[in-house]
Amino acid sequence: MKPTDEDTLGHADLLARIRPRPDAADKLRAQVRYPTDRYMSAQGDVALHGAILGSPHPHARILAIDISAAAALPGVQAVVTAQDIPGRTHYGLRVIDRPILCADKVRCIGDPVAAVAADTLAIARAACALIRIEYAPLAVVEDPVAALLPEAEALHEGGNLLHAVQHGWGDLAQAMAAATHVVEDEYETPRQMHGYLETEGGIVEHDGAGGLTVHFACQHPARDAEVIADMLRLPAGKVRVIGTPIGGSYGGKDELTIQPIAALLAWKSGRAVRLQLSRPESVDLGVKRHPFRIHMRSGCDAQGRLLFHSVSLLADTGAYATHGPEILDAAQEHAVGPYAWPALAVEGRLAYTNNGIAGAFRGFGAVQTQFALERQISRLAKACGIDGLTFRQMNLTAPGALGPMGQVVAPFDGPQRVLDLLATHPLWLSRAPRDEGRYRHGIGLALVHRSDGFGRGGPNAAQIAIGLAADGAIEIRCGFTEMGQNLIDTVRVLGARLLGCAEGDLRAVLGDSARTPDSGSTAASRATAILWRGLGRHGHEWRKRLCALAAPQLGRTPDALLAAAGGIRDANGELLLSYASLANALGDALPELRISLEAEETPSEIAAAHYVFGACAALAEVRIDTWSGRAELTRMVIAAALGPVISPQGFLGQMEGGALMGAGMALTEHLPTAGGRYLARNLDGYLMPTVMDAPRFEIIAVQGLPEGDEIGPRGAGEIGVNIAAPAVAEAIAAALAMPVRRLPVLPDQILDHLCAEPAGMALAHADATESAR
Amino acid sequence: MISLQFQLNGESVSLKTPADRRLLAILREDFDLTGAKPGCEVGRCGACMVWLDGAPANACLLMAWQLEGRSVTTVEAIAADARSEPVRAALAECGGLQCGYCTPGLVVTMTHLATRTPRPDAASACAQLAGNLCRCTGYGGIQRAVERLFPPPASAPAAADPSD
Repeated sequence: MKPTDEDTLGHADLLARIRPRPDAADKLRAQVRYPTDRYMSAQGDVALHGAILGSPHPHARILAIDISAAAALPGVQAVVTAQDIPGRTHYGLRVIDRPILCADKVRCIGDPVAAVAADTLAIARAACALIRIEYAPLAVVEDPVAALLPEAEALHEGGNLLHAVQHGWGDLAQAMAAATHVVEDEYETPRQMHGYLETEGGIVEHDGAGGLTVHFACQHPARDAEVIADMLRLPAGKVRVIGTPIGGSYGGKDELTIQPIAALLAWKSGRAVRLQLSRPESVDLGVKRHPFRIHMRSGCDAQGRLLFHSVSLLADTGAYATHGPEILDAAQEHAVGPYAWPALAVEGRLAYTNNGIAGAFRGFGAVQTQFALERQISRLAKACGIDGLTFRQMNLTAPGALGPMGQVVAPFDGPQRVLDLLATHPLWLSRAPRDEGRYRHGIGLALVHRSDGFGRGGPNAAQIAIGLAADGAIEIRCGFTEMGQNLIDTVRVLGARLLGCAEGDLRAVLGDSARTPDSGSTAASRATAILWRGLGRHGHEWRKRLCALAAPQLGRTPDALLAAAGGIRDANGELLLSYASLANALGDALPELRISLEAEETPSEIAAAHYVFGACAALAEVRIDTWSGRAELTRMVIAAALGPVISPQGFLGQMEGGALMGAGMALTEHLPTAGGRYLARNLDGYLMPTVMDAPRFEIIAVQGLPEGDEIGPRGAGEIGVNIAAPAVAEAIAAALAMPVRRLPVLPDQILDHLCAEPAGMALAHADATESAR
Repeated sequence: MISLQFQLNGESVSLKTPADRRLLAILREDFDLTGAKPGCEVGRCGACMVWLDGAPANACLLMAWQLEGRSVTTVEAIAADARSEPVRAALAECGGLQCGYCTPGLVVTMTHLATRTPRPDAASACAQLAGNLCRCTGYGGIQRAVERLFPPPASAPAAADPSD
């Protein structure tokens, strides 16, 4: 495809195009009501306060539960245990293993056993303390390796191996024998916490018609509604879930959190119930990023051509499955990268342990293996004496080649484009490490590609709708939720572009199971792409329908009319009928166009393989204090090949925000456990980046796509995380000539490295010696 | 329970409440002022910031007994005050908010910094914003807003301040 001026948007171009979010004014004046801001039902009843009694043991049998003292406490309106559940007691995705309330066994600290609704929070908590539960502690499974030994205590009936994967091609033994350079190492990634500032919570109220309305942050309202209805044995449609707006999620609220418990309390008490986790409770119960142990052995020939890649993965999934299997699938696929390997062998296992619960987190299994893979690639490049950028360019798969699982993928040349762009960047050209007193500066390069949507066989289908509202607004109705990604702006931009109307004619109706069709989960970087496809393919049909409805009102034939900005216009562009007037004339017969999008997946019959990929390359600059061992990220340049940018502010915000989250994973963020207990339970012990930790960002959008691309925009929601963690690791490795095997790279790791070799104690001196050789 | 009287957004209010109840709960539950958000409830995240006698304070760390006779200003009043308009405009136009949950706390802190004399420079303002965590933006938009609001003295019109 011939490059145009618009093919690349530099940081300044993006900044010039950003505009206030549609919800900015309300958010800045604190006029937005989040689910946890609700203390009263729609009918004006003050909600009861809920509290959950979680397990104090990481692993134990429940022998007896006595709620009598709690139930007798004045002010208590309902106490619930698993016995109060009339319908389905467990939920899950691929594996249904998670009890709403534990009946016979607890598998992690905080695992919910009972809950109370009371007049005040203090009473609810006091009542929880009066519930007597007799436990018989079981052996705590702390280590994923030990978890898979035959003698390990099994968390679930099927044993501790939740999922295993394997794929590859070529003759590995022959390729290994032919390799000139081989790098083999074991990498570890941290248990990162999402750190959404709004903890899990919301309100469940009675709708006055035998059903429930649930205001709780989530990413897939239709599914939450189904789980709650099944739990209560209610017909579908009797539970309405409104999952938006959300005070941060990043994947952590994709699977249900505590809304079924709140619903059960509301059901039993007959009252509205507000339930919100405190931060320590949220730390205990919320899912985390899967810690991975990654063994890689990779090799190339003397000229720097990659020959083989052998990968073994072991991840700690904690107590329940949730998204674990999909995450291991993603790790498996992204461990291969955009590189051409003549011989490949990847295998991975996912172990249940009593270390909390790991689940969906932006970057989703991929970022862990991408860190290890980029380390391998850089180390091989160094062994060959080739710079990392050239080495990567030499070893990319061709744009039309098969993907990382051997599947057919949508043709894509993003990795080539982003590397070409960074090859002439001033930061790359000045990448030699340099000293400044006690500080050492280093610049690292990383490249990732990442998938869009779910893999083959996943829930890729989606429904959205376009409707005319009574006030004349053209509503885009979808089940996706707004969690900060600026979907509301994307709806307006895409709606205007693809439906011919003005942005002001549009309204986003999001995340309400009663008012929006089931679009599937707001996850896997898929929402923008779904809207692009749905509105793009059916926009014409929608405009024709409006013209057909307007024709009798105007006494003209539909062919002479055009649905355009502001309303129905004639061929000369003259406004004949505003959308408001049309809606008024139609009365109750307002049109809605339901759009069903079939799953678009790779035609290759390979389970979980993805069809669409985006790509990013980044340069990270770190400044390392050789006295304290602290690494600070000072600059981050990201070139992102994700097709056309729909919402510049959304794009920039997703890239910068994702990048700092990935940098946090590389520099400070880790939630260790001991005996199944998290060693930090709040934001004072778990360190997320502050404004002082943010680098100077430069984001570059590479919009060009291969000729004939039918996919359009790739999601920007996650890839910032995917690129940043490897890039920061590469920068530290480059600055200190350090292997960097474990994230986060905490000061003790850097000091150990500096102290291990005498030359490391005086960097400037060591460097001078080396250049003199 | 104690009887308590303090100024809330310019009006005198009185209530009976447990002495150790947090201001954050009082604002949200008794006055439906939900702009102050619970995030960590240990004074780390800044989502619950208010002005106490005109200076930023975490509402999660203030107990009822400490409020007697004091003046509390919440984001609802600060955001309605024209002095916060440049802060809100800068955050909106620079991409300084996404999910918006930390945003009220940022408006509270930044408006305080922007109305102080002498006005801090961008580096100092940033340092004082380290008590307001944002997990969405990566702070890119917040840094741009800070640079706009707190320009270096050289680019500001030279002010002949006799107190210098």
